[in-house]
Amino acid sequence: MIKVNTQQKRTAIINSKAPFSQTHGKDALDVALIFGSFEQDVSLFFQGDGVWQLINDQSTDGIQTKNYLKTFSAFEFYDIEDIYVCQQSLVNRQLNETFHINDVQVLTSIEFGKALNRHQHVLRF
Amino acid sequence: MKSIAFMVTTAPFSNLTATAIQIIESALSQNIPVVGIFFYQDGVLNANKNIMIASDEYQALHQWQRLHKTYNLPLHICFTAAEKRGLTDESEMKNIDESFIISGFCELVGLSSKADEIAQL
Repeated sequence: MIKVNTQQKRTAIINSKAPFSQTHGKDALDVALIFGSFEQDVSLFFQGDGVWQLINDQSTDGIQTKNYLKTFSAFEFYDIEDIYVCQQSLVNRQLNETFHINDVQVLTSIEFGKALNRHQHVLRF
Repeated sequence: MKSIAFMVTTAPFSNLTATAIQIIESALSQNIPVVGIFFYQDGVLNANKNIMIASDEYQALHQWQRLHKTYNLPLHICFTAAEKRGLTDESEMKNIDESFIISGFCELVGLSSKADEIAQL
């Protein structure tokens, strides 16, 4: 049995890659869900090409890839509530703020940096 | 002194792994408490004893074995990532080196909870 320290640390998981050409997004999701299920304080950050993971109406039907993005809707069951996206990354890619999950917080670069700074542990995928 | 855990995500044939080993050994040699290493993504390939790297090139596995022996350093590989890459501990086909421990994601939560800092390499 894993002993979990009672003194809570906050963990940030940064997603910086587009969703389907590699497995980074899925690997990050697996880590986020396990931290959530151990009641660890975990937040998700989407930045750079990672913002594509939040864009709605994506289908993987034609590319023989499981659409792991559908699992994002389970975040609330894992108590993953802090989901941040970098506004500048959206602007650079001419993407609208229309996401496939609710309660995504769009932050300016400065706010994004400050939010990240509130975390003791950072993992980046 | 603050304790640290490391997550290694690079394959043994990547020079980034040589850098990771240098950084980890540098922490160990300064008596910084290293609670453990968690191998994830392509990092789990470091545990594959069947990977043959030309003898005039960097032998990452030898270095991991040495760190494990010298410093009693726990080397955890992520089971999910390992299975996906053909690593197995089934007796006949076992290709995981003895220095490594097969662990689950929960070990990562354990390491992260124990360590003051976590560094991803």
